[in-house]
Amino acid sequence: MVSTDFLAITPEIAVAVLALLLVAVALLLPQGARKGLVPLNVFGLLGILAYTVYDFFFGKMGPVFRGMYYHDQFADFFKILFLTAAILVILSSREYIGKWPAYRGNFYALLTAAILGMMIMASSADLLTFYVGLELMTITFYILVGYLPHDGRSSEAGIKYLVLGASSSAILLYGISFIYGLTGSTQLSGIGAQLGSSLTPPIILATVFLLAGLGFKISLVPFHMWAPDIYEGAPTPVTAFLAVASKAAAFAAVIRIYLVTLEHQSFVQTGVALLLILAALTMIVGNLVAIPQKNIKRLLAFSSIAQAGYLMVGVIAESVAGVKGVLFYAMIYVFANMGAFAVATYVGQAQGSDEIRDYAGLARRSPLAAAVMTASVLSLAGIPPLAGFVGKFYLFSAVIHQGYTWIAYVGFVMSMVSVYYYLSVVKVMYLGEGADLPDIPVHGAAKFTMVFTMLITLFIGLYPTPLAQMAISAATSLVK
Amino acid sequence: MSDNFAAVGVLLIFAIALPLIMMAVPKLIAPNKPNKEKLTPYECGNETIGRTWIGFKSNYFLYALVFTAFDVETVFLYPWALTFRKLGTFAFVEMFVFIAILLVGFWYAWKEGALEWM
Repeated sequence: MVSTDFLAITPEIAVAVLALLLVAVALLLPQGARKGLVPLNVFGLLGILAYTVYDFFFGKMGPVFRGMYYHDQFADFFKILFLTAAILVILSSREYIGKWPAYRGNFYALLTAAILGMMIMASSADLLTFYVGLELMTITFYILVGYLPHDGRSSEAGIKYLVLGASSSAILLYGISFIYGLTGSTQLSGIGAQLGSSLTPPIILATVFLLAGLGFKISLVPFHMWAPDIYEGAPTPVTAFLAVASKAAAFAAVIRIYLVTLEHQSFVQTGVALLLILAALTMIVGNLVAIPQKNIKRLLAFSSIAQAGYLMVGVIAESVAGVKGVLFYAMIYVFANMGAFAVATYVGQAQGSDEIRDYAGLARRSPLAAAVMTASVLSLAGIPPLAGFVGKFYLFSAVIHQGYTWIAYVGFVMSMVSVYYYLSVVKVMYLGEGADLPDIPVHGAAKFTMVFTMLITLFIGLYPTPLAQMAISAATSLVK
Repeated sequence: MSDNFAAVGVLLIFAIALPLIMMAVPKLIAPNKPNKEKLTPYECGNETIGRTWIGFKSNYFLYALVFTAFDVETVFLYPWALTFRKLGTFAFVEMFVFIAILLVGFWYAWKEGALEWM
């Protein structure tokens, strides 16, 4: 019994061991040296990724630890996503991190600990286990966001994230305490059975508090204020990881808690109406405010807010097709966003600036980076041959199938709006002069990341079936 | 369900009322003869000399952090030690894993100079 339970959490144990190993190896190295940490981390995560993919297809699924923890394909899908995102972040940021002051502590160990937190969030079957995972992820991010001590903006972002994140965690915990008070259980299965179908004020309050706490991590619109400042101030690789993996982890929790546990209870009555409005607002605000942005990280921050709105549309659909759409879109969002952020990281460290006007003439100065950035933003906008189109198609068709046509129209119109600001970046890169800016050809691991993300984005756009099938089996493992 | 919350409501009313009563009663019955010494705010310890906005050694915080880690470890070790015989080998190994994780953190803190007084 015990041994099979521990077998089910092998990826988590492996990630925890890897994080400790990274701390230990960094201590054994001479002060400040970081050589060897990148290969150790990347190959370690690759091994865990390979095991998780194997587990996805052939593993024995079911709840473990007396129903405290789910071991299902839904969780495995998200674990694959987190590990992929982490590997891409590490590969794309090697040179960027190499320039940091040598005395700083261990970036890679912290990153790995954040992955562990996300994995626990994705597969927890108990609100408290989920909360522990969330805190492990968030506290690690507080440190990572404020990682550059002599950079005022990084410190400011760190403090802001700490204060806002702590208050959102408090609200979330308050919601959990309400649910515990109402049902006498923190286990998701127990809550589902106990809540009943009646709708009382405490239940509404509890679900809204939970949504507020999770909406902060997703950057859903009334809770999105932190995102632009923190995305801009944080070191670019951390921003990339925050935008991609932290958001996906919160979506995993939203789907598990809202859709499965509260299904047919308060969700149907309050949740859908609330989420419809919030998703529409998120898409509108995110896309419209992105238009006047001058800084590439701020632009990508607002774009990621808008993407959260699209993903929320899939949650509203409340069906296998909807969850499949969310899973599919979350995965291609990783590749598209990581491509864009790999370029932003690279250009940022080569030129020391994140302003969009400094991307002028990038097509001449670094053709590969410009091409990758173009492919990534077009995929985010949802232009047909690229993966983003297929993802949006799945999301919107799922929600139309459930009868919410107007939210799909909002999505279509806002996607059209998003093309404008995404293409304005492309315009600067291809039509801008940038005569006084240096040539910055890409090398090494960053080059590999860029080419890899672009190829995957193209490949999934042309042949989405394998990923779509994985998403379907993950969604069916969850939605009962 | 609502009956249980009625008790919480009664507690809430009492919790609000009690301090109000305790503040009101002395106002009503206590003799009121103020002088300068009585009206100065009560302060514990010596009076401060010089400015109070001074630099504070951050090493204190590092010590506090390391201390917290070991404090929590002790909290876990006590119940484990009490039921050690019942729990068997599994718990024995698990506690060593726990201590090993803590020791890696302690090693890190030591090596990074958290325990050195500047």
